[in-house]
Amino acid sequence: MDYSEIAERISRKFSQKNQTVDSKKIEGKLRRLVDEFGVLPSEAERSVTNELAKEFNIPALGTSSGSGPGSATEQKKIADAMPGDWVTLEGKVVSLSTPTSPTIAQSGIVADESGAIRFIVWAKSNAPAMTEGSWYRIESAVVDDYKGIPGIKVHSGTTIKELGTTDPLIPVPVQITDLHTGVGSVRAKVVQEWEPTHDRMLQSGLLGDETGTIKFVIWKEAGKERLEVGSVYSVFYALVDEYNGRLSLNLTTAKIMQEEGDIPTISGGEAAIRGAIVHIAPGSGIIKRCPVEGCNRALSRQNYCPIHEIQPNFVYDLRIKGWLDDGEKTHNLLLQREVVETLTGMTLDQAKEIAENNPLGMDEVFLRMRDILLGRYVLCRGREIENRLLVNSCERLTFDSGEHATLLNRAGGAS
Amino acid sequence: MSVNARDVGKKDTSFEREPARRVFAAELRECRYQFKEGDDEKSPTFVLLPTGERSNRIFLIGTLTEKQRQGDQNLFYRGRVVDPTGTFFVMAGSYQPESMQQIAKIETPAFVAVVGKPNIYQKDPASSPLVSVRIESINVVDRETRDLWVLDTAARTLDRVDALAKGETKDVTTAKEQYPTLDPAVFKKMAYEALAQIKI
Repeated sequence: MDYSEIAERISRKFSQKNQTVDSKKIEGKLRRLVDEFGVLPSEAERSVTNELAKEFNIPALGTSSGSGPGSATEQKKIADAMPGDWVTLEGKVVSLSTPTSPTIAQSGIVADESGAIRFIVWAKSNAPAMTEGSWYRIESAVVDDYKGIPGIKVHSGTTIKELGTTDPLIPVPVQITDLHTGVGSVRAKVVQEWEPTHDRMLQSGLLGDETGTIKFVIWKEAGKERLEVGSVYSVFYALVDEYNGRLSLNLTTAKIMQEEGDIPTISGGEAAIRGAIVHIAPGSGIIKRCPVEGCNRALSRQNYCPIHEIQPNFVYDLRIKGWLDDGEKTHNLLLQREVVETLTGMTLDQAKEIAENNPLGMDEVFLRMRDILLGRYVLCRGREIENRLLVNSCERLTFDSGEHATLLNRAGGAS
Repeated sequence: MSVNARDVGKKDTSFEREPARRVFAAELRECRYQFKEGDDEKSPTFVLLPTGERSNRIFLIGTLTEKQRQGDQNLFYRGRVVDPTGTFFVMAGSYQPESMQQIAKIETPAFVAVVGKPNIYQKDPASSPLVSVRIESINVVDRETRDLWVLDTAARTLDRVDALAKGETKDVTTAKEQYPTLDPAVFKKMAYEALAQIKI
């Protein structure tokens, strides 16, 4: 009997785990089990695999041949797969992402014409690697829900067969307000770009369409490009996550196509608040920022960045953090440099001049700005995100004699 | 415009700062009922306004007419801030060093904006209670800002008087119990008089 084929299969399994095994040695073990001990070849394969797995300290690999118990699992459309189901489905692998843990062999998104769902292939399942763009039949996988997001888990009892079909699959974009956690496709415009908060972040900002806006993020990976502010894109199969009750789109593994033309966007969460500035928080005024690209964190007085340590070549910036109070509710404010300059009449250059020449340094800028703003009535417009108003424009209110007259009438009217 | 997401921050998302109520001196002076919700040492204390709204914090603008440094070991400042309807008694103690320094710098008389916490004091059971405001911040402002505050406070007071007439909220019910003799029409008149003092 020829054992080379089985031996080859076993050694391939281990080379996937970056272990090299000697095929001749495996053949020897197999021959011994089958010829000398009368073990069935399939059982011999299993036992040699397990023995080697133990030797390399790899959790049980199992064999790909013996398909699961063949329990009756339903063939379903992806859109009908609910957490808790054991399902069999046919779909196209539309994206693959880098596994987040060594216990995961592959992760990505599988789609059919009904919808798309995230999947995870456990390393232990020993399933064949799937390739992006191909159709597969996935038999008896489990649908579960991780942090409220449904996903398919491919385990050792799941069988995967490549189908060889090449149907193009065009997802239908939905409107932003119709997105829900899982996987989603939209056609939207980049309405805002934010400075990255993490070294590994390529870009973050806001996407908008006629119905709303949503935060997006793209993580740094080879071949990823930034989106242009003001351009319209079709985004297929983005991961829709939820954090603190808000949805966001992770576009890292999504298919993104730039579109011609423009779409109207509503600025969801756009707020205009009239009130008095009742507090200017520490960290307002002139600040130093970390010059490392993509960092931009505010530095301590000693020019210390929590990530990049001492940065003597910091960059100056202006900002105001504070509270705007309308008598009913207090809104946390964040004013960026342009807004601060317009509102206080102090430019970054003037603030720099004060910070570098005044005995109080940066504190002097804080105190002057506080004196200008504290207790003043303003109208701030911006976007309110998680209780904080990111101010796009802010102007001082002026006395309105029309309002005065209206109030006099109201107070003097029949009581 | 590019917004620095770093500044957007993670903290404070669940924290709700108590709003600063707008109230004229003549109404604040009438406060007699103070309460706390929750047994936590840190749960906020509220002073119930006679017009039926709780206030943990107030925002006022008026003329600082007098200020006085008092105490030896426990240094503190007292001040009188006058609005069109009466006088607010404000104070800043050594637990509010920032506020103390701010008030120390100000030359009277001056228009000042004050954010602070109202408190009802009673020296002894025989004397009548006094409402004072512990200063969180005090800053010199201009006349126009003062006038804006009078408009704002008149509007808020009239809103409260209207809500009192409807009598739906819990605070309104409590106010009717705690201040049975007060006629809401008094506060409407007070708002009118405050507005009438602004010269057009």
